[in-house]
Amino acid sequence: VVAAETLTLADLAVTIAVLAALGLAAGRFGLSAIPAYLLAGLLLGPNEPRELSLIEPSEVTAFLAELGVVFLLFFLGLEFSLDRLLRSGRHLGLGGSIDLAVNAAVGIAVGVAAFGISFAAVILAAAVYVSSSAVTVKGLIDFRRLADDETDLVLAILVFEDVVVAGVLGFAAAGGGGVSPTLVAVAKALAFITASLAVSRYLSRPLDRLLDRLPSEFFLLFVFALVVGLAATAKALGLSEAIGALMAGIVLAETSVRAEIEERFLSFRDLFAALFFFTFGLSIDVEALGEIGWLVALAVVLSAAGKLGGGYGAGIVGGFTRRQSVNVGAALVAHGEFTIILADLASKNTEIPVGDRADLVAFAGLYVLATATIGVVLMKESKRIGRRVFPVPTLVQKE
Amino acid sequence: MTVELRQTRLPGVGTKFAFITAHGSRVAVIHHVDGTQELYVFGRVDDDEPRAVLLLDDDEARQLGAVLGGAYERPKIVDELEMAFGELAIEWVEVPDDSPAIGRTLAECGFRARTGVTIIAILRDPEPVTGAQPTDVVQRGDVLVTVGKLGQYKEFRRLLREGPFDGAARSAE
Repeated sequence: VVAAETLTLADLAVTIAVLAALGLAAGRFGLSAIPAYLLAGLLLGPNEPRELSLIEPSEVTAFLAELGVVFLLFFLGLEFSLDRLLRSGRHLGLGGSIDLAVNAAVGIAVGVAAFGISFAAVILAAAVYVSSSAVTVKGLIDFRRLADDETDLVLAILVFEDVVVAGVLGFAAAGGGGVSPTLVAVAKALAFITASLAVSRYLSRPLDRLLDRLPSEFFLLFVFALVVGLAATAKALGLSEAIGALMAGIVLAETSVRAEIEERFLSFRDLFAALFFFTFGLSIDVEALGEIGWLVALAVVLSAAGKLGGGYGAGIVGGFTRRQSVNVGAALVAHGEFTIILADLASKNTEIPVGDRADLVAFAGLYVLATATIGVVLMKESKRIGRRVFPVPTLVQKE
Repeated sequence: MTVELRQTRLPGVGTKFAFITAHGSRVAVIHHVDGTQELYVFGRVDDDEPRAVLLLDDDEARQLGAVLGGAYERPKIVDELEMAFGELAIEWVEVPDDSPAIGRTLAECGFRARTGVTIIAILRDPEPVTGAQPTDVVQRGDVLVTVGKLGQYKEFRRLLREGPFDGAARSAE
């Protein structure tokens, strides 16, 4: 019998147990759970290594993963608001631009080297550009960096990156297939975002009043319906579900119940995001990399250098010391959720050649595994590295 | 006198409040989105690593804040001035165990008429008395929460310690 195209409860139990065990083990070493979930998918999935192949990607896993994307983006949206963006201050524009200039250039170089001048190259460029907010924020907390002044800059750059990538997410699933269809997809994405923002202005007050009055059980259901509904709407319009969920978050970010929503939906996000990364891991086919395998290695080195350099530059320009600037660069090396989400959306885009799609998935998976690990280690050691490279001048040295 | 407190939003994390003490240490408090709070202490302003990081949940942070702010009730240790607003003071005053006021009502003691100090509440186990009435009886172990002018407390403490009061005391419990 060929592996059944379903996911049984037993499969789900095994999967989640493995996720918990690997995530916990990663945490012991101070690593983020994201690479652990990817690794679990890679191990249990149908591709190499085949010894442990237990789970087949199916409609069920795809659906669970879709919910994962929806919740990840919904939470990102909740953190967004024009007001908050403006308040995150002077670092946002300048630091974000320097990081963008350096790392988008690295991304485009890698993308074009892999796929030539094509839509897949654009997606890959964005995937190489965007650092992981999840991994970095966890590191900042674990390594006790929250009180450091340069942490403000790190977080501002991450917000900037999120805004840029949110734009790319809008058309990642629909673009490609020639210049004009791509431009239509881009225009649609922009129109959708603008429309949602405009509506949220008028909608947020009545929505607020309604949500405030609902009993808690129905509050949960209503918000759930709103989030999934907007995601479905975006998808029906030929955009990605990701952008719809993001917009739901942005609309609700303006309401007074934002904190309650975050509190009640946090566990949904954690569960479905874990399943999303796992499912993505299932489809990583290392063998599919073929001739661009070397490119993953090159991309890891180039983008680590780009992030360290770009972050350092942003730090110096922002008026930080050289050692603080080293910390900024090191905090941005890790890639994670957005790289994976971009590759996942592109893998469903029929305008991209099948071979390129498999390459994108394998590339993103391995790239995140590598950079999330290296990035966390660099972050942990960045202060020691800074002291080594830029020692405090002592009297002895002055002589 | 006012401390320069710097407030910064940390997107995705919470809010940071930081200031530098007169002795040159740097202190930062992080309000996490999930309600937990972290206190970072750096020995000197430009120290690389914090000397201490304290993770507090919501209740603990409030407790610590109350203690540091001087608003926390500490009758066992001190019964001195707790809060002063210009001339006006709110003070927690412990009743001495041998006070002649024990067993008498507030009306019989006549603190307000004789010293100007008003008793607004009484801290006692198991139930504190809020909005103290003239008919409330002073008991052994009570802590009186009072409002008065700074200059009136000397006489108030003497009266509480020594009396004299009119009428006979009820048997104290």
